[in-house]
Amino acid sequence: MPISLNDFRSQAPLLALLLLMALITGYDPGFIQPTAVLGLAADTAALFIMATGITFVVLIGGIDLSSQAVASMASVIVALLLPDFGTWSVPTAIAAGAAAGAISGVLHTRLRLPSFIVTLAVGGVVASLNMLWSGNRTLNIEAADRAASFGWVIGQSAGIPNEVWVAIAVMILCVVIHRKTAFGRFTNAIGSGESAAWASGINVLRVKIISFALSGGLAALSGVMMAGRLSSGSPTLANEFLLPAIAAVLVGGTALTGGVGGIWRTLIGALLVSVVRIGMTFVGVSVFAQQIVFGVILIIAVAFTIDRSKLPVVK
Amino acid sequence: MARLRRFSSLIVLLLIGLLVGSINHHFFDPMNLTRIATASTIPLLMALGGMFVIQMGSIDLSVEGVVAIAAVCFSLLISNTLNAHSIGLWALPVAVVVGALMGLVNGLLQVRLRIPSFIGTLGLGFVGIGLATALLQGNTVRVVDMDVRAVALYRVLGLPLSVWIVGVALIIAHVVSRHTVLGRHALAIGGAEDLARLNGVQVGRIRIAVFALAGGFYGLAAILAVAQFGQGHALIAQGQLFTAITAIVVGGCSLAGGNGSPFGTLLGVLIVVVLSNGMVLMGIPPYVQQGVQGVLIIVAVAMALDRAKARVVK
Repeated sequence: MPISLNDFRSQAPLLALLLLMALITGYDPGFIQPTAVLGLAADTAALFIMATGITFVVLIGGIDLSSQAVASMASVIVALLLPDFGTWSVPTAIAAGAAAGAISGVLHTRLRLPSFIVTLAVGGVVASLNMLWSGNRTLNIEAADRAASFGWVIGQSAGIPNEVWVAIAVMILCVVIHRKTAFGRFTNAIGSGESAAWASGINVLRVKIISFALSGGLAALSGVMMAGRLSSGSPTLANEFLLPAIAAVLVGGTALTGGVGGIWRTLIGALLVSVVRIGMTFVGVSVFAQQIVFGVILIIAVAFTIDRSKLPVVK
Repeated sequence: MARLRRFSSLIVLLLIGLLVGSINHHFFDPMNLTRIATASTIPLLMALGGMFVIQMGSIDLSVEGVVAIAAVCFSLLISNTLNAHSIGLWALPVAVVVGALMGLVNGLLQVRLRIPSFIGTLGLGFVGIGLATALLQGNTVRVVDMDVRAVALYRVLGLPLSVWIVGVALIIAHVVSRHTVLGRHALAIGGAEDLARLNGVQVGRIRIAVFALAGGFYGLAAILAVAQFGQGHALIAQGQLFTAITAIVVGGCSLAGGNGSPFGTLLGVLIVVVLSNGMVLMGIPPYVQQGVQGVLIIVAVAMALDRAKARVVK
């Protein structure tokens, strides 16, 4: 079967990932050692989980700019509640994240506000709450509490870091939600053509609200994992994560215009982002310059994946 | 009702002022009013630039990055603690040009690559902060050029020079918006892009020019920020995007484009600044402000949105 240009385009992220990995391995064979690969996977886990949440929102044609604030909020909640409530602080933090996402969803659908402005505003409110609750400082997590409640993040099982297991579980769950449930299919339908989805009787508002809640919940989970890893919660813990997470979604090939994409693509996108980051360190690009590269990658990814036929007027 | 709506932001500003003043009478001190005027200067410049972009129905999320790179370039060119450059006041136009060039790129991304402005400017904003950080290697540069510091320190008729400069910038923005082809076409594009195109408006060219104009305003904001803080660093405008967008939408610009004015934006900036000044006077922690601004954005956008226009909201 001849490979068309379109096939090539949809496989381009995977090819880019393999090419980059081959290049770095050629530069330093140590990169492909099992321990190094597992380290890379563990580093990517939190980013991937946040990006998976954003994927659902991008699939319906929206965007979530509140993820970093929500993830930081989860870290603050966990750090505050852990001494008194133990492991229960983890589901509490995730529920709070889902609630923040649901609020974005309700405001977006009920008030009919553009998602980027709603999530920007909700992100601001959440960031402010974070600073209020934490007294605007970093909250340390006691070693004993950490050992008791964060075994599922910091340890290893079967030689693989637990973070990777969590990420795999999230991935399987989300692939099933996306591919096998009515909700998942509806997200694609809404992104492909919202008016048609309305007309065919899909409860568009509900699907949208659930997508935002899912994004908030997964952002919170990634924040909890970062808190466990760094052994602290802080109102600015996840501040450097929004750009790489959105870049991971879009680089993986999920289109900003909605309707096209999936969890697998985000996995490839997240790995690509991690490999690029490591690659830059290998090649000797200054840490300070990495944001430039990510900003450019974001723009290039959008330029390639966006479906211009859906945007008669680009705003 | 329509008339009431037109003056709503002025009424809100007066109500907030009276409320804060009745709780803490220090609010009406000439000293405090001067402080409010000074605190409004930098946000107003950013909001004026952003306003032109929002009038077209686009959005500019790059303001923090553009101000950062312009401020760092500016402070590295005048007498400073990091290098031996000292071109003095010649650096002023350079900062504005750097801002305008970044704006130009924003416009080109949207017009030539057809990338929605919110994601293009988001990306370029990060590029700007990254460039600024890389230029300084993460450091802060202190500025010792007293001619530049004078912009913030020298007073004319009791007000810092920066307030007068921003007053002139406001009048320029008003003239551009009301009396030039660029300003009128920007509003026409925001009102209905297809109609504007059919009427012979060169939409692409106007859009690029407006983004560049906005960048120029950010460049000016960078100059005032460096003069006021006496230093330049990559996070000099951190959190300002939020203030700017709040001020613009509170000042009566709809995100759909096609309306709003520089004086409306001035009122929006004053509402935000008076609110935060009042919160300081009442002893509320400063970091609550971001949350209050978030709520303000939602309320203002919800009230201003013309829902008849937007059937599918993304």
